[in-house]
Amino acid sequence: MLMMSRREGEVILIGEQIEIVIAHIGRSRVKVGIRAPREMLVVAHEVKLVGDENLAAAKIGRGAEIVTILKKIIQLPQASQSPVEKGINRQEAGD
Amino acid sequence: MPVAQTTNFGTISYNPDAVICFPKGLPAFEERRNFAVLQFQDSAPLTFLQSLEAPDLCFVAMPVLAIEPQYRLEMSREDLEEIGLVVDRQPRMGDEVLCLTIVSLGEGGPTANLLAPVVVNIQNRKAVQAVAVQSGYSHQHALFAHEVVAC
Repeated sequence: MLMMSRREGEVILIGEQIEIVIAHIGRSRVKVGIRAPREMLVVAHEVKLVGDENLAAAKIGRGAEIVTILKKIIQLPQASQSPVEKGINRQEAGD
Repeated sequence: MPVAQTTNFGTISYNPDAVICFPKGLPAFEERRNFAVLQFQDSAPLTFLQSLEAPDLCFVAMPVLAIEPQYRLEMSREDLEEIGLVVDRQPRMGDEVLCLTIVSLGEGGPTANLLAPVVVNIQNRKAVQAVAVQSGYSHQHALFAHEVVAC
């Protein structure tokens, strides 16, 4: 990995179209400005992790397997909901 | 009541009050905006987020507090604004917002995404998957029997 030291206000260029500005250096955080073509996705790494996790989660659906596993873990009868959740969630499928 | 076709549940009828809207979708599912929040007596508090646009898309979720009773929300100003909450403080869970965590099944067993809870504004039912970049919570929090409590 290329490592580069920069001061506040200095800029890094990646190729012709991407510009990274070290906008502000705080005690534990750095504010970075990014100028890139509109079609280029720029996200924090965590957002990518969450996207990948959502893709994985979408695969399990109502798979009997996950429900069985989770039922064991949470010992369903004792679990109750807050009144608020009951209010907006309680819904039975008509299947 | 409106009905929807779903892969997992067949045809369901749902209460319009149980529909939540993600104005910008979820990471990796940016085009999926409207979800019905479903619970069934035999599997509560498991909560199913069924897409009303994609019959085959259904997330399994649980209340965050059932997994992590001490959970602290850390929503960004942008996320707070997106679902119509005041931006100068964190909302109260259970009172102002419903806070769910999406469950996944990895090789090592079930995990919950505590890094990015689904937060629903109870007033307007707008929702956002709020990525808490500085929270230190994991996107793959392992679920074990002793960690889950009734909430």
